[in-house]
Formats: sequence, structure tokens, C-alpha cells
Amino acid sequence: MSEKRKYKKRFCKYCEAKVDFMDYKEVGALRFSLSERYKIMPRRLTGNCKKHQDMISIVIKRARAAALVPYTVTRKAVVTQPFENLR
Amino acid sequence: MRKYENLVIVKPTLTAEEIQASVKAIEEVITSNGGEIATTDTMGMRKLAYPIEKNERGYFHVIYYSVAPAAITEIERRFRLNEELLRFVTIKYDTNREIKAWDGLVEKANKKAAMSAKAAETPAATEVPAATETPVVEEAAAPVVEEVPVAEATPAAE
Repeated sequence: MSEKRKYKKRFCKYCEAKVDFMDYKEVGALRFSLSERYKIMPRRLTGNCKKHQDMISIVIKRARAAALVPYTVTRKAVVTQPFENLR
Repeated sequence: MRKYENLVIVKPTLTAEEIQASVKAIEEVITSNGGEIATTDTMGMRKLAYPIEKNERGYFHVIYYSVAPAAITEIERRFRLNEELLRFVTIKYDTNREIKAWDGLVEKANKKAAMSAKAAETPAATEVPAATETPVVEEAAAPVVEEVPVAEATPAAE
């Protein structure tokens, strides 16, 4: 019945900033949509819109191929260097 | 003619001159296949996010160029044969929005190249602040020594 919204309504940050194009070489900008282990964050958690989620997922995959962002991080690497090479 | 961007990672085990030579050879591959290089962007030696062929580091170089789409297969084939390359990433800029972004990136790379050229011209300017920094460290170290007797004095007063 009168169920309250558990989380506050989220807005797409990229829409707010009017992002038209993302550059895969700017690794710091990709941080927002990456988890601690460099997984791509789902839309339900970041609040990205479909258009920008599609853009960011392509850009992150390009950055992974270019060895700018890791594909996976082992447990050891997570502890020793949290986001050190993302700058 | 379509606009492209190529990111190239050269092996870090080579010497500085060999890296410059191989970068030049890579650009030669593009121009010999009818490409027009708009600008290049040197990102320099960087740590790789994951080791490639047991290398932890790599020399990153970005080339912006325009070429006929048919020539890309040949350029990529030549890159694959090149053993000095760890990795290359080719990006196509096709739609109007992407072409606009490509122009912006080229402009940014040109500006960056001009900045680094200016910094190389005036090495004296960078040396001056470095010289002033050293006495500051000595001053900071001095008060620490003074504090030690104060700390010793307080338990004596109790």
C-alpha cells in the first residue's frame, strides 16, 4: 500500500552536465561509473540515463583495451592501491 | 576521408631514441597509406593497468588523422606485424557529434604540444622555484628541534 520510496530519486549526472561526448583517455572522469573493483556500475545505482550509460559502457571498454583501466582487480591489489593509477 | 584516432603503446624496454624512431615509423605507416596526420599527443611513459607481455609500463602515443576507410585494414595489419608495439586502439569518428569531438581533441592536443614546447624553451624558469624550496624545508625542520625541550619540561613541572 502507501509504500514509500526507499531511495531518493536519482538524476543522470551526465545529463545535468550536458555531456555530449566522452573521451576514453580521461580516466578520472570514468571513476564515477566504476566500482571499487573496476566493474561498470549498474544504472540503478548511479542513476545514469540509458543514453549516457550506453556511452560510458563503450568508453570504459575502450579504456580497458588501451590498458588505462584494469579489467579486474585481485583482492590484494584492491587493498594495496585503491584508485592509485586512476588519475 | 574519415577521421580516426589511434592510441599506440610502445615497449618500455627500448631506449628513448628507439622509442622516438618507432613512433616515427608508426606515423610513416599511416602517411604511406594515404593518411593525413592532424596532430599527435604524447602521453609519455605510463604504468599499465595490467601487464601486457610481462611489461608493467608502456610509452603511450596518440595520433589523430584522417584516411580513407579502406586503408584502415592495411594500417592495422602493419601494426600487428610490428613487434615493438604492445597494443593499439583505433577509434572511428563518424557521426557529426563525434567529428565535432574529434576537432576539440585535436585542438586540445595542439594546445598541449604548444605548452610543452614553451616549457622546454625556458628551463631557467622551472629551476628558480626549485632553488627557493630548499631553504623552506630547513626552516620547517628547525622549530621541531625547539619543541623537544618543551615536551620534556612539562612532566618535570607536574
